[in-house]
Formats: sequence, C-alpha cells, structure tokens
Amino acid sequence: MVAPLLVFILALALYPTVLTTIDAFMHIDALTPPNHFAGFGNFTAIFSNPEIRQSFENTGWYVLFGVMLTLVLGTAFGLLLQRRFRGRGVVLAIVILPWALPGVVEGVIWSWIYDPTFGVLNSVLKSLHLLSQYQLFIGTRQIESILLTSLVQVWQITPLATLLVLASLQSIPGEVYEAARVDGAGWWQVIRRITLPLIRPGLAIAAVEALVLSLNIFDQVYVLNAGATTASSVMSVTYFTTFQGLNFGQGYALSLLATVVTVALSLGALKVLYRKVTF
Amino acid sequence: MRRWIAVWARRAAIGLVIAWSLFPVYWALNTSLMTNEEAQSTPTHFLVTHPIFANYQAIFGAGPQAPAAAGGITRSLVNIVVESGGATLLTLVIAILGAYAFARLRFRLKNLFFYTVLGTLTLPVYATLIPLYRIMSEVGLVNTYLGIILVYASGFMPLAMWIMYNVFLALPPSIEEAAVIDGASMLQTFYRVALPIARPGIAATAIITFLLGWGQFIFPLVLSSTGSTQPLTVVLASLEGRHIVPYTIVNAAAIVAIAIPAVLVFVLNRWIVEGIIAGSVK
Repeated sequence: MVAPLLVFILALALYPTVLTTIDAFMHIDALTPPNHFAGFGNFTAIFSNPEIRQSFENTGWYVLFGVMLTLVLGTAFGLLLQRRFRGRGVVLAIVILPWALPGVVEGVIWSWIYDPTFGVLNSVLKSLHLLSQYQLFIGTRQIESILLTSLVQVWQITPLATLLVLASLQSIPGEVYEAARVDGAGWWQVIRRITLPLIRPGLAIAAVEALVLSLNIFDQVYVLNAGATTASSVMSVTYFTTFQGLNFGQGYALSLLATVVTVALSLGALKVLYRKVTF
Repeated sequence: MRRWIAVWARRAAIGLVIAWSLFPVYWALNTSLMTNEEAQSTPTHFLVTHPIFANYQAIFGAGPQAPAAAGGITRSLVNIVVESGGATLLTLVIAILGAYAFARLRFRLKNLFFYTVLGTLTLPVYATLIPLYRIMSEVGLVNTYLGIILVYASGFMPLAMWIMYNVFLALPPSIEEAAVIDGASMLQTFYRVALPIARPGIAATAIITFLLGWGQFIFPLVLSSTGSTQPLTVVLASLEGRHIVPYTIVNAAAIVAIAIPAVLVFVLNRWIVEGIIAGSVK
C-alpha cells in the first residue's frame, strides 16, 4: 500500500534532490555534454557575482520583515478573534481568504494598489498629505521595495499564524485566566505573563512556517519586481539565472545552497523555539 | 463607560482586520467593473459608479476590447482546473493508501519509509525545481498535463499523507477490529469501514491539496511554455507583465482566478481550518 507513495517520493523528490546536489559541483553546458566536475567553481562564481550577493542580503530582509510582521499580526488577530461573538464564523472565513489565494494573483492585485500613476496607495497617501507627489514605490529604494513586496506575502501567510495562535489559545484552560484575575493582573500582564508564554508552541510553528516561506519568496517578487536587482530574492535570482540566463551550473549551486540553509534553519528554529508547554 | 469603550475598541479592531483581509480583493473587484478612463481618473473612485462587465467579456473573448486581452484566458482556466483537479485526485489516492498503511499496518522498514516521506516536507522548491524540469524534458512531458500533474502530486503527497495519517490514527481502531472479527479482509476493512468514517478528513485534505494546486506558479512557469498547458496563474502574470493590457482587464482576470478559491473558503472554511491545523501542528 505504501509502494506507490514511495515510488513517487523517490523518483520525483529524492532523486531530483540528489541530482541538484551532484550537479551543483558540475560544469554544465547543454550544448557540449558530458558535464565535467567543476569543484566549487559554481559556488565561487555565484559569490563573486554582485547581483547574486545582493539577493542574499535582500532575502535576509524578506525573512526579517516576513517573520516579524506575520507573528505580530497573527498574534494580534488571534487574540482579537479568540472570544466568541456573533458573526465570528464569517470573520474567520474572511481572515483565511488571503491564505487561499494564489501568490501570483495577490502580486497582481497589489501591483495595481502600488501603481505609480494610478494606484490607490498613492492617492490615499497624497490626500492625507503624507506624500507631496506620486511615488514609484517598488523599484528605486531597496528597503522600501522589499518591505512592500514582503507585505504582500505577509498578507497571504498571516492567516496561517492566526489559526495556529487560535488553536493554541483554545488549549489554555480557563482557570489559568481566572486565577490571574483573582491575583489582580491587568489585561496586558495577562497577555505578557500568561497568554504569550502558553501559546509559544503555536507561535514557534508559525515562525518556522513564515521563515521557510519568506526564505523562498518568489511569486510576489516575480510580479512586483521582475528581474530587477532592487528587491530580488534568492529564489528569483535562481529562476532568472537558470531559465533566462541558462546558466544551469550556477542555478544548481544556488539551489543547493538555499536548500541546505532552508532545511538547517527550519530544523534549528524548531529546536530553539519549540519547548513543550504543560499545565 | 469604560466597558462601553472596550466593546467599541474591539469592534473597531475587528473592522480593521476585515478591511486588511478584504480590501485588496475588493479593490480588484471594484477596478474590474470600471472603464479604463474611470480607473485612471482622479480623485480615485472608491466605489464604481456605473459597473460594467466589458472587462469580463473581453477576457472571455467578446466585445471590442477582446483583442487586447487575447491571452488565452479561457484555455488557461480549463488548464488550471484540470491540473489542480488531476493532481488532487492522484495525490489523494496515493497518499490515503500510504497513510492507512503507516497508521494501521506493520511491515518491515516502516519507520524508515515513514520518515523518508515526512522528511521531504522540509525540502524547499529549490531542491527539485531544475532537475524536475530536466527530467520532464528528457521524457517529453514538458507542456503536457501529465507532466504538471505528476510534479504537483509528488510535491503535495507528503503533506496529504501526514494529514491523513493523523486522521486514521484518530479513528477508534475498535470499529476496524470488529470488521476483521466478522471476517473482512484487510482491504475490505480499509475500503468499507475506514474510508467512510475518514470522509471529513479526506474532504479537508482534498480542499487543501486543490488550493495548493490552484496557487502553483513557478513549476507551471517552468514546465509549460505554451498556452496549451499554462494555468491561469502563469497567463495572468504574463498579462500583467506585458504592460499593454489595461489594468481593468488584468483585474477582471485576477478576480476570475480568485473566484473559485474564495467560494471554497466561504463554503468550506471549517474543513480548511481543520486541514491547516492538522497539517502544521502535532
């Protein structure tokens, strides 16, 4: 019964991963096979390419913004939606909606919001006198471009964090809150000293998911930033290097590097963040 | 008085959460119902004055603006349904079989196999993207539904297996044991007893898998270079990227791409929540 599953996993997940690992150390030229061993040649090539190095730095920003904003918003939304109220089911469905939509479509609808000539963001900021004239939000200033692109992804993955926070909130017994109230704790103290420590496992999983997703950000970058260096990510650089530049060797090296970092960071983060909470 | 303030502060905050989640979608919908002139006029029209459907007609190949939108959207809509639907079916059949075996049967190397499958959950897209493209081009499956469905399914299987594994573990084994005592074979027990009671879990897995398929972008971007297999996500991105198609039409196409996942969320959100939680916690 497990044979079909194993065949799929071996043929279309593990075998390709092994190929990536081997080919990252190969000099690959589609026109003159066979490929020959290149040692760390592909790696030195990517590290000496300033555009690729920039994408490493950018991805660091994507991770920072993505994880922080997702956790803050997810916790706030979870705390807010924790108690029952009329219409809560509909509100929850609305909150989940961005998670269910394709990242590319979200990039497209946000790119119209960010539009430099007709975008609603420009229009609102100008009428609030926060801007003197319409801006090109994505494409000129690095951090601003990354933050706004990251925001589109945060919009998509916050529901995941919200649901995880809600699930851990439900597992906190009511007596804990009552005891705190009897002892005279204010709402902020309750949140800081009781709620946040107790929802830690949920937050840990949300953090790791946000970490992995922001490390791999592609769809939003592809739509909002295309091939520009300003807000490029490792994934977008890998795509353009491989499939536009047809430099497969460097593409493999980037892929292997990113795979190792993703797996190591997510396992490491889980280990640090995930401490079992017992009552 | 203070209580009154607290109640209204809460309501306002919930209002903000709703606005944050809905505004971008509302904005695309609003724009998709405008003429291009209205969409580009200042001050911004926050509510369309005379809704028109010309943009929707255009993307389905009718009306005066149809040539501008000629990006094969109708075909790409068929493609995305076939690809995410096909991948969902294939994923479910294979993942359910595997999950049941891991949850209920004893066999050699079970732990090794189980953790091998589960371990691939941590693999990012990078790990397999380029080799899968090369494998698919070597076996001639680029620009075919089969190629895309196989790649999707292999990517979704670990998660689907994990959700279904937990579903089967949560079922009381006594019902299946009773069936075995009554003389049912292992396959009969699986098919006649376990599958029917696992139906809610199967529904949750199916919806999550289908939404994952609907959202795919980089794999179909790489694996399909022609309109014959490009899903709506890929066609929409190229429509937007060409900068000659009016934004009103692009937004109408975006709304078409949003429609099915949005309906699923509003009708079946209970199962989606269960699926998400089951897939990430435990």
